This record gives sequence, structure tokens and C-alpha cells, in this order.
Amino acid sequence: MKTKYLPYLLILPAGAYLLFFIGYPLVQAIYLAFTQNGHFTLANFHRAFSNSMFFQALKFTLALAIVIIPIQVVLALVLALIMMNTFKGKDWVLYALIIPLTISDVAGGLIWYTMLSDAGFLNKLLLNLGLISQPIHFFGYQYRTMEFLAIVLEEIWRSTAIVFVIILAGLQMISREYIEAAEVFGAGYWTRLRKIVIPMLKPSIQSALIIRTLFAMQIFGAVWMLAGRDIPVLAGEGYYQLTFIKDYSVASIYALAIAMLSIVLGALYVKFLKAPYLEVGE
Amino acid sequence: MKKVSAALLIGVMVLSIFVAGCIGGGTTTSSSSTSQTSSQTTSSKTASITWVSTQLAPPEERAFVLNTLLPPFEKDTGIKVNYVPLSYTDLSTRLAGEEQSGKVTIDLIGDLHGGMDYYASKGWLMDLNSMPKLTGRTFIPAFMKYATINGKLVYIPWMSATYVMVVNKEAFKYLPQGLTENDVIQGTDKWTYDALLAWAKNLKEKTGKPLLGFPAGPNGLFVRFLHGYLYPSFTGYEAKEFNSPQAIQMWDYLKNLWQYVNPASTTWDSMSDPLLTGQVWIAWDHTARIKNAIETKPDQFVVVPVPRGPKGRGFIVVLAGLAIPKNAPNPEAAWKLIDYLTKPSTQVEVLKNVGFFPTVTEASSAVPNGPLKILAEGVNKQESTKDALVVMIPNLGSKGGEFKDVYKEAFRRIVLQGEDPQKVLSELGPKLAQLFKDAGIPEP
Repeated sequence: MKTKYLPYLLILPAGAYLLFFIGYPLVQAIYLAFTQNGHFTLANFHRAFSNSMFFQALKFTLALAIVIIPIQVVLALVLALIMMNTFKGKDWVLYALIIPLTISDVAGGLIWYTMLSDAGFLNKLLLNLGLISQPIHFFGYQYRTMEFLAIVLEEIWRSTAIVFVIILAGLQMISREYIEAAEVFGAGYWTRLRKIVIPMLKPSIQSALIIRTLFAMQIFGAVWMLAGRDIPVLAGEGYYQLTFIKDYSVASIYALAIAMLSIVLGALYVKFLKAPYLEVGE
Repeated sequence: MKKVSAALLIGVMVLSIFVAGCIGGGTTTSSSSTSQTSSQTTSSKTASITWVSTQLAPPEERAFVLNTLLPPFEKDTGIKVNYVPLSYTDLSTRLAGEEQSGKVTIDLIGDLHGGMDYYASKGWLMDLNSMPKLTGRTFIPAFMKYATINGKLVYIPWMSATYVMVVNKEAFKYLPQGLTENDVIQGTDKWTYDALLAWAKNLKEKTGKPLLGFPAGPNGLFVRFLHGYLYPSFTGYEAKEFNSPQAIQMWDYLKNLWQYVNPASTTWDSMSDPLLTGQVWIAWDHTARIKNAIETKPDQFVVVPVPRGPKGRGFIVVLAGLAIPKNAPNPEAAWKLIDYLTKPSTQVEVLKNVGFFPTVTEASSAVPNGPLKILAEGVNKQESTKDALVVMIPNLGSKGGEFKDVYKEAFRRIVLQGEDPQKVLSELGPKLAQLFKDAGIPEP
């Protein structure tokens, strides 16, 4: 066998997987979005966009991502920097930080719902401590800002870990030599962080951002649990159209909207977060 | 290098076998299921019947059917039952195909009244008047009336369900003036929607908390309260008077009431937990979804009829029936299963396990004392109020979701977002009318 076929053979399993599980459904979704009874039509788009929930969902999906992701990146970076030091019980802290990663979004949503509800743990604690006389209401249409806050809290708790793991791995790959060289030239901690660590972390931050943003576009379970449709999101409305309304075409449009957003945002990250040192052939 | 490519080749082969297995697997299962059904037709002489049902389809209920409900019947009669839970759409498609081709494989159908009504209109159901009489039971007359279409008994009432109100006994301490505990429990003329408003207001003012609650979450059934309770009570109809002065009055009422409703209602799918945690004292929900609260604290709660409105006491009865399709392979065996399923003892068993209410009066009195009795009594009182305005969920098939969405949207826009009711109803009214027009059924 010639070696020139080898690369193709190597990507064949992955290619086949993508073709069956991503490619086929994608084609199917495009077909559903653009046809009605087998004929080409744009009526489905009209139906999707004329419903005010579509733009609400788009707005809230983006708003959640804009609020959550920067907090997560900063928090993950701080945690990762702390974990670069050696201290007693470090392993335990590491495990504790990663545990939420194993929890599904629905379960995470339920946990936080139970904690934050009027009869929940948080309110009971604050009431018993005498800090509040009335429970803090987190849920219900009238308290949408609080529901938004609850979702942000849950997502930060549950999915910061993935950003943290990627950034920690990135940090560990940075050679000590650079840091030591900087120290020799008298660079303080902040200078080292700004001039060496963060620039060298860019590829890791980029991967973490891409992964987190893609997940953020698909946010659904936690929102459904914590706010229902008070706070509509794209994936949630797609699910609603599919299972409640049985409008497969509009549901496909929601799915395609998520896909488009993910592609565009992914491309933006790749374009604007180039890692300079990789290009000079280091 | 050779080794690597050999390994890769093996990998590719394994993958292709796996993929082929996936694709081929699908066909084998479907072919085996067809052979199963065809074997059923041929083996109908050896007493095996196919029971297709849209009810008792969720996994837990299915497990109850297979593990508890059917084994005694199969043991006693020697008839093997092939239980096939299907969605309404799948069942109607399958039945249409079988009836048109004349190759009927279904012996027994379990479906809601709406579905049966449709099958009967197509002439697919047997007239059950010709079957031997079922002894030792009295079917609730109202249900028999529904089951008789154009003089033909098209199905046998099987199970029923409804939505009721649950009251935490604590709330009775805060009754508004002019309303007594007895009024509420018996569902007298004084138990009106205005009285509910006064009660909820009183509760909020005296306790500082909004203690009325509804399951208005994404998977909650609040929409049934809108089209099956408030609308008939205020306008006399579920959909016909969707956009009418009475409807505006109804929406204004709901807006007013909502001030005293626990805001978290929009995130609740079932009222069991909010009742148990004391977040609400008065709740409305499907009987199956409050069962847990009553079973956990039977002394704390009473199940009461819903209030009445200007046009009567509107409420939904969900009625499921059992029917035999025309040209069914084994109608006698199917009749035996109907006989078994409508026996008072079987009906109590169904109530105990899956929370559906009996359709025979003997079963209602056979319910043992305890939480279920509380439920059954409440349901019974609601059904026997003299101003009862019973409505059924309209059968719009796959358009059922859109029907519900109209009411949900009206609620969101009018009550939650404060839009002008007239504007919203004028906008949504034609949409609702179109749904019924497309389905070819009159607006209920």
C-alpha cells in the first residue's frame, strides 16, 4: 500500500462519523427548513421569524453567552494560576473544581432550582440567619432578571470547569525557561503574566473560548429547568417547536440558526485570536 | 508502514461492519416487527391479540401494563396480548392503512374520546351493541352518552382523568366573607371565580405571600385551565367565543387574579412539590400530578371542585375508551380483554397504579380509604355539581400543539406582558379558527 493514501485512511473513520452523524442530519435539517410537502418554499422562515419568540430567543442566547463566557474565562484563569502553585490538599481542590463538569445541564438546573427557590436552601439559610425577612424570589416571569442571574450562576458553577481544565493544561505547557528568563530581567508577577503567560496561553484560551461558545449557543437544559420559557433560548424554542408544536421545519430553522451562529463565532475567534508565537515557527 | 496500513485496513473493516450493522440492524428490527404482526394475524386462532393504545404509553405506565395489568388476564384466559403503545398520529395512520387495505391486524384500540370520534366518523369501528352484555358493572351514564355515536356504541368507556383544585386545609382559615369551607368542598353556587379571587387576595394580604399556584411551566398543563376551565366558565365555549366581550372579561379577571398568584408558577410543571413545600395553599392541576402530594400528606389537603363562572362550572374530562376495529382478526378475545379491563377490581388497580379514574360506578365506591379516596371524592363531587359544564379536549391530531400555543401566547402577552386583550385576541382568533377549519371539526 502506498503512503500517499495513508492520510486519507487515517481520517476515514472520523470522516465517516461526521458524514453519518453530522452531515446527514444537517442536510436533512436544510431540506426541512426550505421545503413544505416536498416543494421549495420560504414560508417556513416567514413562520419562524414572524414569531416574536425567535428574536427573543436569539437575544437571550447571545446575552447569556456575553455575560457568562468572560466571567468563566477570567475565573478559570485565576483558578488555573492558583492551581499552578503547590499547596496542601491541592489534589482535592482540583477534584472539587472538576466535579460539576460531570453533571448534566438538566441536573445542574434542578440542583440550582432547588437551592434558590422560595422554600430552598439559600432562602432558608438567609431567613434563619435573620439576614432577610422575606424570601428572595428567583423564579417566575415577574422576576426574569433574577432568573437570568440564576442561569448565569448555574452555568458558571457547572461549566467553568471545562475552561479551567483547558487553561490549566495550557499553563502547564509553558516552559519554565521563559518565566525564569523574565525573572532574570527583573519582570514582576504582573509583567510576566501580561507579557509571557497570557500571550503563550492564547491557543488554549482560543480552544476554550470556541468550545464554551459552541456550548453556549446550545444552552437549553439549565434554562428550561430554571426559567422555562420565561427566558427563551434558541435550543429551547427549537425543542418547543419540535415536540410541542410538531413543526419540524421551524425547529430545523432554529437548529440551523444555532449552527450558523456557532460557525460565525468560531470563525471570528480563529481570525482574531491568532497565536503569534506559533507562526514564527517556535 | 505496512503494519500501520494493515492495522488501518482492519480498523476500516471493523468500522464498516459496525456501520453496516447499524444500517442493517434497522431493517432487521423493522422486518422482524412486521413478521411479528403477520404472525399475529395467522396465529389469531391460537388466541393472541394485538392491543394498540395511545394511553398508558409512558415507560412507567407501560411497565404497569406489562407486569401487573396483563399477566392475570393472560393466565386466566390463555389469551396472549401483544401490547403496542403508539402515538395518536401513528395509530390513526396504521388504522387507516389497515381498514383501507382490508388487512386488519389490530384487535383492540385504546384511545381518547377525540380519537374514537374520528375513527367512528370514518366507519372504522365495530358497533359494540352486538356484543354480549358486560355484567356486574354500571358505566357512568355521561360517559356512555359520549361513547354512543349515531346510535352505535363505538367504544366502551375505559379510564377517565380530570383536573381539580387542591386546597391546603390551612387556607380555610383565610376564607373571604360569604364563603364557607362547605361551599368550596361541595362546589356550591357561592364557590365562584370571584370568590377564588377574594380568597387569594385575602391570603396574600394576611400572610404576605401569594399562595395560589398554577402549573404554568414549560411542561405544565396550565393551558388546559385556560381553554377547558376559564373559557367555558366565562364564555360557555372552549374556542367558539375566543374573541368576545366575555373573553375580554375573562382575561381581565385573570390579570387581576395573577397579582395573587405565586410568580414562580411560570416555572412549575406540576403542583405536587409547591403544595408539599407550602409555597402554595391552593393549586389547580391534573389529578395524576397532585397525587403525590395527597399521598404524602393525606391529612393536609382536600381535593375540591373548581369554581364556577358566569356560564357555569367548566371543566375537562379526559375520557379514554376501548374499541374494536371493523374486520378485527379476533373480536371475541378482544371483548374478553374489554370485559377484564372494565371490571371494578381492575379499574381500582388502574387508579392505584397510574392514577386514572374508573368509568364504572362500582369502582368509585370500591376505592379503599386513604389518599386515593380523597382524590376520588373530589373528582366525584366535581363531576356531580349541578352546574357542571363538561368539556373535552378537542381532537386536532398533530395540530394539538398549535391549538395550545394560541392560548399560551394569549396568556403570555395579555397577563405577563400586559398587552391589550382586545388586540391580542383579534390577532390570535383567526389563527385558532383556521386550526378547526383545517381539521374539519366545528369549534367547541
